[in-house]
Amino acid sequence: MDKKKLYSFWFLTPALLMFTIFFLIPTVTSLYFSMTVWNIDGAKFCGLNNFKMFFQEDSLNVGIRNTLLYAVLTSILKLVPAFFLAVFLTSKIRTKNILRSVLFFPSLLSLIAIGIMFKAMMHPSKGVINKALAVFGITGIDWLGNTKIAMFSVIGVAIWEGLCIATMMFIASIQAIDQNYYEAAEIDGANWWQKLRYVTMPQTISARNSIIILAFIDGIRSFELIWSMTGGGPGFATDVLSSIVYKQYAAGYYGLSTAGNVIMLILISCLAYPLQTWLLKREEN
Amino acid sequence: MKAKKVLAALLAVTVVMGLNGCSSGLQGAADAEAPKQQDERQTADAAQTEEPKKDDEEVTLTLSVDSDETLDGLQAVCDKAKEVLGITVELDIYTAGTDGDNIMKTRLASGDMADMCVWSDSKFKSVGPDKYFMDLSGTNIPDKLDDTYREAVTYNGGVYGIPVGTSMCGAILYNRDLYEKYNLEVPKTWDEFLKNCQVIKDGGDTAVLGTFADSWTAQVLFLGDYYNVSAKDPEFYKNFEAGTAKYANTPAAMRSFQKFEDLKDYYNSDYMATIYDDGCEILAEGNAAHWIMLTQALSNIYSLYDKETVDKIGVFGIPDEDPDNQGITVWTPSTIFGNKNSDKTDDILRFMEFYISEQGLDAYCSAQMADGPFLVKGYESASDGYRAVEEDMQAYFDAGKTEVDMQSQVQVVGSDLPAICVEVATGQIDGKAAAEKYDADCYKAAVQLNLDWKE
Repeated sequence: MDKKKLYSFWFLTPALLMFTIFFLIPTVTSLYFSMTVWNIDGAKFCGLNNFKMFFQEDSLNVGIRNTLLYAVLTSILKLVPAFFLAVFLTSKIRTKNILRSVLFFPSLLSLIAIGIMFKAMMHPSKGVINKALAVFGITGIDWLGNTKIAMFSVIGVAIWEGLCIATMMFIASIQAIDQNYYEAAEIDGANWWQKLRYVTMPQTISARNSIIILAFIDGIRSFELIWSMTGGGPGFATDVLSSIVYKQYAAGYYGLSTAGNVIMLILISCLAYPLQTWLLKREEN
Repeated sequence: MKAKKVLAALLAVTVVMGLNGCSSGLQGAADAEAPKQQDERQTADAAQTEEPKKDDEEVTLTLSVDSDETLDGLQAVCDKAKEVLGITVELDIYTAGTDGDNIMKTRLASGDMADMCVWSDSKFKSVGPDKYFMDLSGTNIPDKLDDTYREAVTYNGGVYGIPVGTSMCGAILYNRDLYEKYNLEVPKTWDEFLKNCQVIKDGGDTAVLGTFADSWTAQVLFLGDYYNVSAKDPEFYKNFEAGTAKYANTPAAMRSFQKFEDLKDYYNSDYMATIYDDGCEILAEGNAAHWIMLTQALSNIYSLYDKETVDKIGVFGIPDEDPDNQGITVWTPSTIFGNKNSDKTDDILRFMEFYISEQGLDAYCSAQMADGPFLVKGYESASDGYRAVEEDMQAYFDAGKTEVDMQSQVQVVGSDLPAICVEVATGQIDGKAAAEKYDADCYKAAVQLNLDWKE
């Protein structure tokens, strides 16, 4: 019995060490540093003042609202198109391999590159989107400069970018469905829609849940796309939690930004964990 | 079985050792001791390459400079220095803006700074310059510097840097052709300015150019209005630094934010997507009448076009209520700092002395025209300058109607100012809310600087 125990322990050690050094220790020390006024000379303890200051931040309300909006919309809105794309790409079409590669292309690009690209395309007077609209006689809008629209423009790009991974997950899940279900359904006289609704959809629930969870967590800590497209602007209109934390860090308020990170950690855990348990429970039922 | 166990143990040991190496490396970098290590390394390097070190030996110095600086003049001085002193200066460009400030702070803290760096005199005080930068107060350099500038680079009695270029102004650049077309006069008050804007707008041209895709450009109206703040409340900057005066409860200071409200309707429609570089072209080609900008744009326009085009651009100070007291706010140029922990401090000093000598500044002028007066005592450029500088700006200097930008007079500078200015310029909040927001922003900076401020 000892042998078995020792065996697994030794194999656990390297991973555990990595985890301790790179995750546990930084997490614990960040708790301390979040309670200091910290500059490049050293850190001075200041109690919970940083947390107080962070919560008094004017742009924080906008930041939390935008973060949740971004996380919820990017995780929900890509489900439907991704699902139908996956159904289409698993059906019997000739060009499906090429189409799958094309679809996967955006995820090969870095988010910063995508952001810069779309920022240029969304330029109100020189951008290709508004120029294309002008051909049809539609006056384009200021996609990133209009404070009411900017956030949704960024979310739209995020959905476009996230669509490929979501579709791939759906494809994998659809391909794993046992053909017997479809045969049985056909024998019962099910039409295309009924097969989709009563076989494909229930069988891909776990993929759907993974997509939601992953996209939600990604959305809450999203940064690159927003930073490269708007820098949190105009003003503070598209600030999210991580861009607020970044700006504080860049300003040299290291203690304050660490406090922001601790708050983000708590917030992500508080939102993601219940969401996951809730979705898993529904999956089991 | 045993072999596996041994292998696992070995693996574990390797990983631990590898990580130890890593973490000690990281700690070393975070330590304040790092400059010493750096020193030792550099000395070792130096010992290897320049064994018999003499004064007339060729020396190479590194100089970090941000990407927004116009490099023509600096490069010309460096070339001259190589010829005269035998000092080769290698430029190393870092990104401008807040990201750049962060790079500088990190490089300083980790002891990884070049021999010299170009940085803002409004930023260097926040890092504790006595630890990192060469104090020049024992040399004859401070005596040669203009008084206001010397004040801006003084910290706890030490004088820390030399100007990389000329002073410049934060003011309203206007296109003379459009002013002729609409038969307008240079405004003396803010209301006259707004009337001019209305005329231009009615005529179908862009009245005020906004280049807020580079959000720092939005601050210029606010910062450039400081002459008017100080004219009405000369003690404001002192009281502000002491934490007793706030923007939100000082009407003269709050007015700077409220001026954004008046301009809301006059901007170009793509002002949130236009960047600084576009702005230079738009103004030069007469597609906008006014641009509230630093006069460094003149040099940028000159390098894009020619002198004739630049001379179509005029400058006036941001006006206020009193037509008889229209002044202009002056910016100190970026500063060259010497790295105290470099092993070539003597050479750095020689280079700095050369830079502000007549020979050095002549080299500068041969490559780049002045955006404003030089900040070295007794130096006047022999070559001719831009019309906007020699006619328009010089008039303010001659009349004594200038004030140095407040950010170089105080330690407390809020980091969110560009975003706040964009927010009020786009009409999301009003001037009063912006003032309150900036006060809160400055409070954060004051806490970080350990000042005794009350909320």
